[in-house]
Amino acid sequence: MRNKLLILIVFLFTVPSIYGANKTSKNELQKLEIKNFEVLDFPSDRGDSVIVVWDKENSDMNYELYLSTNETNWVKFKEIKSEDKPEPISLPFWVWENTENRFAFPVNLVKVFGLEEDKYFNEDIKNINLYAKIKSVSKNKSFKSQIVNGKPHGNWFRKERINNFVLVLLITVIFFVVVSHAKKRDLFIRKIPGLDAIDEAVGRATEMGKPVIYVPGIGGMSSISTIASVFILGEVSKKIAQYDSTIKVPHYDPIVYTVAKETVKQSYIEAERPDSYRDDINVYVTSDQFAYAAAIDGMITREKPAACFYMGYFMAESLLLAEVGASSGAIQIAGTDVDHQLPFFVTACDYTLIGEELYAAGAYISKEPMLVSALKIQDFGKLLFIILATVLSITFLIMSKTGNIDMIGKILDILRVK
Amino acid sequence: MELSLVLGAWVAAGMTLFIFSFLYKDNPFYRAAEHLYVGVGMAWFIQLYTYSVIIPKVYKPLVDTIKAGDWVNMWLVLIPTVLGLSLITQFIPKISWISRYGFTFLMGYGAGLILPAGLATDFMNQIVGTIEPFANFFSLSAGAMINAIIILIGTLSVLFYFFFSVEHKGAIKKVSAFGVYFLMIYFGASFGNTVMARFSLLYGRFDTLVKYSKGEYFYATNWIILGLLIYFICEKIFFKAVKLKKT
Repeated sequence: MRNKLLILIVFLFTVPSIYGANKTSKNELQKLEIKNFEVLDFPSDRGDSVIVVWDKENSDMNYELYLSTNETNWVKFKEIKSEDKPEPISLPFWVWENTENRFAFPVNLVKVFGLEEDKYFNEDIKNINLYAKIKSVSKNKSFKSQIVNGKPHGNWFRKERINNFVLVLLITVIFFVVVSHAKKRDLFIRKIPGLDAIDEAVGRATEMGKPVIYVPGIGGMSSISTIASVFILGEVSKKIAQYDSTIKVPHYDPIVYTVAKETVKQSYIEAERPDSYRDDINVYVTSDQFAYAAAIDGMITREKPAACFYMGYFMAESLLLAEVGASSGAIQIAGTDVDHQLPFFVTACDYTLIGEELYAAGAYISKEPMLVSALKIQDFGKLLFIILATVLSITFLIMSKTGNIDMIGKILDILRVK
Repeated sequence: MELSLVLGAWVAAGMTLFIFSFLYKDNPFYRAAEHLYVGVGMAWFIQLYTYSVIIPKVYKPLVDTIKAGDWVNMWLVLIPTVLGLSLITQFIPKISWISRYGFTFLMGYGAGLILPAGLATDFMNQIVGTIEPFANFFSLSAGAMINAIIILIGTLSVLFYFFFSVEHKGAIKKVSAFGVYFLMIYFGASFGNTVMARFSLLYGRFDTLVKYSKGEYFYATNWIILGLLIYFICEKIFFKAVKLKKT
């Protein structure tokens, strides 16, 4: 009887505790379980990245993320705690939404697995799959997730740059509206002192019987300042042809040389002086920066020009040229959009076109409707900038005071181009 | 010391001093160095383009694709090559019109490449850079707050200076003049910074000249300086004598 009573007591105490223990471990396992664990294609990329995502648990937990491309060789990619706040994925809100209750890690397959880039994009991209698994650990208990996989895809369009595309479209539409307007009536451009001096410089060269040296800089044809320089060269050489003076244009870039050659030839024809045009007006010197500077310095010293123009893209050679030009006594007009070379031109030249003034110069001299319209578009851009910067700074001040951080982030996403 | 090293030292010291001699006046040594520099520079670029463009990006892919019978990729190499070669027709007046195809492509490609990139960096991201500090303005330090305000005022006033559609009169003139102050402060800082960098280059050249003035290089720097001095003195005396004779 005593034994039976003892067994009953033991039974009564142990069964609930066993049941309770099972229940607890089940709960803990549920906690350790990885929810919404996925491998997603990285949006708007060329096809070498994926994003591994899973839901964040609030409890104290450690995650170990393992990656593989073949389910056999696993690489430990990341170790993270549930309270950690990893860097948000830098994509705008219309492409990817960063949320606080979800972990999201971009994985670049080429970098992580040390793949050969050319081979990857030519062959591997069609077959490759990324496998991922997570080991979650909490209070000496661990859980291994199921293996998930995903495939990266290359995208034709970069959706995160759609804001830039919309702006290009907007500017194109405005450009056509302004061009049609400019053809009907003259549009106003304010006085630019450096450009009024061009007539003075060419006139001086004619009176002195000395040449004008026009240096288009070391930029290629894809540089905006070189394009602007070629426009100005066209107008300067037209004036030179009209005054029957002489001009020399030493070149650094063979393509700019050929474009400039055509431009000068066209200017002489427009000035009705095609007979005065000579093929040696434009000379190709070299594509070595300092050799180019040395050659022009020699040219300036020997030919003692009446005027020197430095218009375009310049780097360290700017002072080497302008200093020698100044010591030769030539009237010097410079223009560049390279901000760190402008101080040298400002100190050594008589007139300097600063940044945007160089772009405006072609339109200012020629009054060509197309160029004037381009200038008006630039002014429209500046006006838009002034309005946006002023309004948004005040709006941000108010929003940061009221704590509307999400909206600020979205506005910055719209304005920022990746 | 190897002969090639000594010879290299003499050439390096000689060329440096010949170029420096331009500081006194134009002279045959400077001219020799100048022409040599231009020629060597050109030669360097020819070999550079041959080995980094023509062979790996034109010749090899063409040969490989033809051998493999990969006609699609062959055309992808051939079309740009033909467009590039079309530029050479400039030298033959009768068919120089063909070069326009190459140039048109280059100009279109250049403009297409630069337009979105320029808009992104010079416009959109510039706005973001100016207004971003105001997004968390009240959590900034006093210095950062002042900095953000100065950047905003400076950017806007400089933009007014570059506004070409209105005459700079009255208030606009004052704002743009304020912008010019910002520009000049920047230019001053940039000037000082670059001059310091240039001086460090000059010290580098002087260091080389001092190194080559040692006995192991057979006093290259000293002998060349002496030679240049003798030339300039003789030239001065000779020209003086010729001038006196003429008068």
